[in-house]
Amino acid sequence: MVNLEDLKKEAKRILEEGKIKYIIGYERSPNGMMSMPAFIKNPEDAERLTWDPSCVYNLTRFLVDEKRRKAKEKKPDTRPVAIVVKGCDSRAVVVLLQEKFINREDVYILGVSCEGAGVVDEKKLTEKLKGKKADKIEFSEKDHFLITSDGEKIKIPAQEILAERCLECRANFPVIYDEVLGEKVERRPEDPFKSIERIESLSKEERWAFWKEQLDKCIRCYACRSVCPMCYCDECVVDTISFAVAADTTAEEKAQKIKWIERSPDSSENFVYHLVRAIHLAGRCIDCGECERACPLDIPVRLLNKKLEKEAKELFDYEVGFDPEKPSLASSFKDDDPEDFIR
Amino acid sequence: MEPNPYIPKLAKIIQIKEEVRGARPVKTFRTQFLSENGFSFRCGQCAMLSIFGRGESMISISSSPLVEDYLQFSILKMGRVTSSLHDLQEGDIIGVRGPYGNGFPIEKWKGKNLIFIGGGIGIAPMWSVLHTALGKKEDYGKISLIYGARTSNDIVFKEELEELRKKIEVHLSIDVEEPEWKEFVGFVPINVLEKKPSPENAIAVTCGPPIMIKYVIQNLEALGFKDEQIFTTVENKMKCGIGKCGRCNIGLHYVCQDGPVYSWAELKNLPQEY
Amino acid sequence: MQKILRKKSFPQWVKKLESYKIYAPAKNGDVWNYEAVNHSEDIDLDYLNSVLSPKKIIFPQREIFLEFSTSNDGNPEINEVLPEENPSVIFGVRPCDAKALTLTDSVFGGDFDDLYYWRRRDQAILVGLACHNPPSPNCFCLSVNGSPHSKEGLDILMTDLGDRYYVESLTEKGNKLLNLGNKFFEEPKAKDKKDLEKINLASEKKIKRRIKEIKKIPPQLKEMFDSPFWDEEAMSCIRCGICTYLCPTCHCFDISDEVLSSSPIEGKRVRTWDTCQFPDFTMHSSGHNPRPDKASRLRQRILHKFQYFVERYKNYQCTGCGRCISKCPVGIDIIEVLDKVRDYGT
Repeated sequence: MVNLEDLKKEAKRILEEGKIKYIIGYERSPNGMMSMPAFIKNPEDAERLTWDPSCVYNLTRFLVDEKRRKAKEKKPDTRPVAIVVKGCDSRAVVVLLQEKFINREDVYILGVSCEGAGVVDEKKLTEKLKGKKADKIEFSEKDHFLITSDGEKIKIPAQEILAERCLECRANFPVIYDEVLGEKVERRPEDPFKSIERIESLSKEERWAFWKEQLDKCIRCYACRSVCPMCYCDECVVDTISFAVAADTTAEEKAQKIKWIERSPDSSENFVYHLVRAIHLAGRCIDCGECERACPLDIPVRLLNKKLEKEAKELFDYEVGFDPEKPSLASSFKDDDPEDFIR
Repeated sequence: MEPNPYIPKLAKIIQIKEEVRGARPVKTFRTQFLSENGFSFRCGQCAMLSIFGRGESMISISSSPLVEDYLQFSILKMGRVTSSLHDLQEGDIIGVRGPYGNGFPIEKWKGKNLIFIGGGIGIAPMWSVLHTALGKKEDYGKISLIYGARTSNDIVFKEELEELRKKIEVHLSIDVEEPEWKEFVGFVPINVLEKKPSPENAIAVTCGPPIMIKYVIQNLEALGFKDEQIFTTVENKMKCGIGKCGRCNIGLHYVCQDGPVYSWAELKNLPQEY
Repeated sequence: MQKILRKKSFPQWVKKLESYKIYAPAKNGDVWNYEAVNHSEDIDLDYLNSVLSPKKIIFPQREIFLEFSTSNDGNPEINEVLPEENPSVIFGVRPCDAKALTLTDSVFGGDFDDLYYWRRRDQAILVGLACHNPPSPNCFCLSVNGSPHSKEGLDILMTDLGDRYYVESLTEKGNKLLNLGNKFFEEPKAKDKKDLEKINLASEKKIKRRIKEIKKIPPQLKEMFDSPFWDEEAMSCIRCGICTYLCPTCHCFDISDEVLSSSPIEGKRVRTWDTCQFPDFTMHSSGHNPRPDKASRLRQRILHKFQYFVERYKNYQCTGCGRCISKCPVGIDIIEVLDKVRDYGT
């Protein structure tokens, strides 16, 4: 079991040594039982850190911000940032390393074990508690979570309130780290593609109807894009104007920016947005499920990524984010590639 | 039925003049409304120009309200809509809606000396107020212009400026030395210190790139100008022009409606980096 | 006009309103939203807060302003497109969301009336439902001049008294609606009025969250414009548009041309929601961006709601619905932010 005091101690130590710029971790929200991202600079604030099953966030998203901020600094602080990662999040770090978006020396990885369980789905938990408010949630022995609600402690089987993606997780222990806390508990999912198989079993017409209903709800707040650590492009197809404007960018260049997608949230534009988003994550998505968790309208966007993850596995026997030394799917080549054109 | 503020009126381009060629081209367009009911405006106000299928762009009206035959816009080719405007021919039809903004309080400046200080395309919003004052020259004191551009090629209204010299004091400058150039070389704010306009009974109006405006104001203050004597225009991204879409919001103001003209005294009270 | 309506009579009353387009909260999966309903029996007023407020009916995410095309002589032709004349009734409006419309009214009115907004607004009758239980754990209407039984902006306010509704008409429009279902309403008795009072009082007590000493906040924000506070607070912001798109008072928009045919040119000019949280919102075509980072954009959201709007329209641009708190993917909590603002530097 991860000893929270060990995490705080390690955090305090690395900050005191002064070799770390700051720590991206989790802290308890002052309101409600969920945690929230924390950015710890001072050793005395290491006390704020927490690790419990409400730490749903994939914090690697903030490595993207860090890189952008650093690029703007006149005299950048080149010390690494430390980041707390779960198994899935550590795979996101691997992808960022594979893609050379970050360098290994820029990040100090504090891995935490999910104890063979995972993190909660807030909605499932709310439903389970039937309106009662949870104050605290902890890992407990034998695949259970311990919930404190109204001063009462309730034990709930993890399977019942785990996030969907945790039920299909293939890495509940960090795959890359400088320091790791907790034991490696093997728990292979029965079927890592169970969620997508349900959709695949539908007919073409049923699938169209399903996706149309879901994507018609989209209000294009772009939370699914914004929360994703892999959506790090400086300019996205949905942006209305060119961001990559330099002093010598001509008016023609700016004027020629193609409007691929209109802002109108109707079916055609929403489909293009979501398909573009998903396809850009093919062979890159590590299934942290943040896109779906962030969606205010409960659109199951994760399924689109899941489908591509399955394709990558079946067609190329490629699993995302396990080996930073291996080339990414898009940049790897095999003699026995099933496609003719590439040979 | 109330007028719909979002619907532009159609206007014909009756004249296009190439002011500046090269990488940062400027063209001056004169337009006439197709129907009888156009609009009247105050100098310093803007209009939203439309190219249907490309979008809209807020452009200051560079002709004087005293001219009734046409509206004039001098436009730097900058992005999507202005590039399309530059591709137009005389006789083409565009959409025009407006006028928007507060305009210069020129009525209150009667009897005062007026100093116009501009850089680059920043001369366009001042051109309207300068010519309005010239049109009623007896109402004002001494009128002068300090204007600069990056190179001599970037000077807007070149011929008109030569004509203008016959009527008022005109000081031109370019940023970097050129063989044929006889006037000041250096940035506009430096030229202001050089020419030392007197703050006595004077109003200074400055338009141009934000960084130029910043140093012009600093230098005007050094010359003794009070905050209330300095006027400038604020540029911001705009969409609606009528204080609703929220883009040009600075503090409690919407620049499209409450601006773009501000005295330095007013502007100082708004957030500086919005 | 004050009446009592038995719950079982509610669908019958709604049936009498067939000349109106009816909107009510509807559930899709786990998500409540205001949708057009065809059968009065489908209306379920036992709902929590909708994800999107009824703002989306009055100020839809996409509005066609005009259509443009090319005439035979090759010149552009334009055609104004206004929303249809279509009187509507929105049931189950939360008091906070109704109050929010009074705030967007001040924006879309003023020197220039926004005809699109007013065409929809004037034709809509808002039937509110008092919140006898807070629809969200993050409700804080009491802090921003609201209340769970506020009448502001509503035409009718209904209060759930268990087996019946207490129905109060507040405007001419509301009276007209009640008159259409005249026979289903009863006169309220002393007990009804007493029950109403009790429920109203209890409902206020159930609202747990508050912004303390809110009056101190606008002047304090003015002082804090250049504070490093915003950098700290914005660290976890992911620059999505949830907080503003879900806000019942946010009104910012974009205008763009959607081209259906490029030769000859044909298409539509549309308004779509936009947000100060997107980086392209303020970016000039020169590449200069006055709000270049998420700190300045978070600051804009907070200052616009609690300083600028107060200065311009003498009201907070927030009605305490709590949506931006509940739905923020990284737990940014406007109450927490304002609490810190108030105590900053003390």
